[in-house]
Amino acid sequence: MREGAGSNSVLVSLMLVLLVSWLGLDAVSVAANRIVPGEGIGLGGVAGWPGILLSVAPMLGVLWLAWRPSPGRLRVALLLVMAMLAALPVWLVVAAALTVDPALPQSRLSIGPAVWLALFMLLLSRIELRGRIRVPRWQGALLDLLPLLSLGLCLLTALEPLALRQEYLAREPAFIAAIGEHLLLVSVAVLVSLSLGVGLAMAMRRWPSAQRFGFTLLNFLQTIPSLALFGLLLAPLAWLSNRFEWIDALGVSGIGWAPALLALVAYSLLPMVRNTYVALEEVDPGVIDAARGMGMSRAQIFRQVRLPLGLPVLLEGIRITTVQAIGLTAVAALIGAGGLGRFIFQGLGQAAMDLVLLGALPILIMALLADALLGALTERLRPGGLR
Amino acid sequence: MNHTASTATRSSPCANGSAARRWLAPLAWLLLLTYACWGMPWLEPLFRLVEPDSRDVIYARADFFLLLGRHMLVVGVAALLAIGIGVAAAIAVTRPAGRDFLPMVSQLASMGQTFPPVAVLALAVPVLGFGTLPVIVALLLYGLLPIVRNTLAGLEGIDGGVAEAARGMGMTGGQRLLRVELPLAAPIILAGIRTSVTINIATAAIGSTVGASNLGDPIISGIVNGNIAYVLQGALLIGLLALSVDSLFARLQPASPQ
Repeated sequence: MREGAGSNSVLVSLMLVLLVSWLGLDAVSVAANRIVPGEGIGLGGVAGWPGILLSVAPMLGVLWLAWRPSPGRLRVALLLVMAMLAALPVWLVVAAALTVDPALPQSRLSIGPAVWLALFMLLLSRIELRGRIRVPRWQGALLDLLPLLSLGLCLLTALEPLALRQEYLAREPAFIAAIGEHLLLVSVAVLVSLSLGVGLAMAMRRWPSAQRFGFTLLNFLQTIPSLALFGLLLAPLAWLSNRFEWIDALGVSGIGWAPALLALVAYSLLPMVRNTYVALEEVDPGVIDAARGMGMSRAQIFRQVRLPLGLPVLLEGIRITTVQAIGLTAVAALIGAGGLGRFIFQGLGQAAMDLVLLGALPILIMALLADALLGALTERLRPGGLR
Repeated sequence: MNHTASTATRSSPCANGSAARRWLAPLAWLLLLTYACWGMPWLEPLFRLVEPDSRDVIYARADFFLLLGRHMLVVGVAALLAIGIGVAAAIAVTRPAGRDFLPMVSQLASMGQTFPPVAVLALAVPVLGFGTLPVIVALLLYGLLPIVRNTLAGLEGIDGGVAEAARGMGMTGGQRLLRVELPLAAPIILAGIRTSVTINIATAAIGSTVGASNLGDPIISGIVNGNIAYVLQGALLIGLLALSVDSLFARLQPASPQ
């Protein structure tokens, strides 16, 4: 951005941090079994000088390319960064082969801070580079696919000692069930709050006096911390299910999916109602006027003008709600609602960090995926040139 | 837990009215919170209703004031650090010298909002271990994002003409920042801080599962032991704390158009 052909300071600093952390922090940690704490091993301890030289070379390469950048050089740097990302799983395979004693089938390998930080720094470098240079869409997709393919291949063929994988294998059916529960809770909550939210927003448009009260109430709900709301719902639901048999027969009780769903819907309502309201309200009056001038009826204006124009804003509400609900459902595991949060809290209880990862990583990936997919859908539906 | 409150505004119940009336809501919530901490034992008959069979219905493992104090301490330390680092970082990347970092930082700040706070908290534990420190670090990291994003939005949203006028008056870069840019961006920055603190109060409560003792303790202990009365006490106090802090922010924040 600065004048002249100065170095790309962002990439240079990212690479410096990467180099220092890669050389200074533990690459992996190895434990003889699940119970004993792992022993951290640095890069030199895993692969010696050949490993150091081989792994540092591409980093220095990117550093050199970023020092005197040009579009061509940055393209090469991007290639190198993606190659390094793809090499991270391979590195774990190598580390597993070199450090884990095959005579001890119980021993397990945990990913060290150096690898996590490298992943983070390389992803940041990717963001930076993709922002600087134009890459054709298919080439970009191909480059992004590379690390994912490498990870998949390594997980399928090697990496038996990886603790994360062992935790997964030990509870594969439970894991798949947990993902199902998580997705089910999130989607039901989003659907319920969508229909409720659209209804509420329409009601607020019709009766403006209710609008202020409605938003105040929803803001109030949104302020209450999730754990507290889950807790507060416990008592009345437990009481209801004790009191009325048919509620109990429905499976509603103080703990479980019922309070979780109620709380999720309560939290989802504010972004949903607000965005629906904005979507309906903030269509340019001139456009409505023009539509009326063309002889459209109220219903036609709603269907053909307001809805298409408001749809991106509505979808934005769905996106916020979904991402938020994915995170909140993790907390709901504390009140027995199941889902991936169960592994997090189980792992925290047993001080089994890889079990925590088994719960937290999919939640993170789900949130990022939901965000990206719904964001792309919003972009696609946005009418060109109108907003 | 509101990810968007930073940009969209909240309609605050005390936006207008006389000065005394505007302090009424935060004061009322704070009084209620203090009273609830202090007078919880007197509510025993009430809690006996929901938990008739338990021996103890009032959480007694720690004083409620102590738990409240720890909760506020963790959130406060994390918030102060996050404000200091976040605002400084946002200022740094909007100056000419740091502008190269702007695209990456702003993309990171908006992408990071997608991360569920619980996941951040859970991922901090393997790195930092159990206790209060990982909770503070997780809260700090997560709390940074809304503050950075809103400070960036505030500083970048300033009308170019205003900055030009300040330059024309002969103000130096530092003067422009302190007297023009930051005051103009203040409401948006404050909204970011409010979002950050609101999320952190909630996340800190979950932090009691990783060994940080605070108001989440009664809830967790109640869930583990099947004592709904404990859960209610913790939930009540956390809810009151969140409402007190939020209404305080609503008071500080000038009413902005919906």
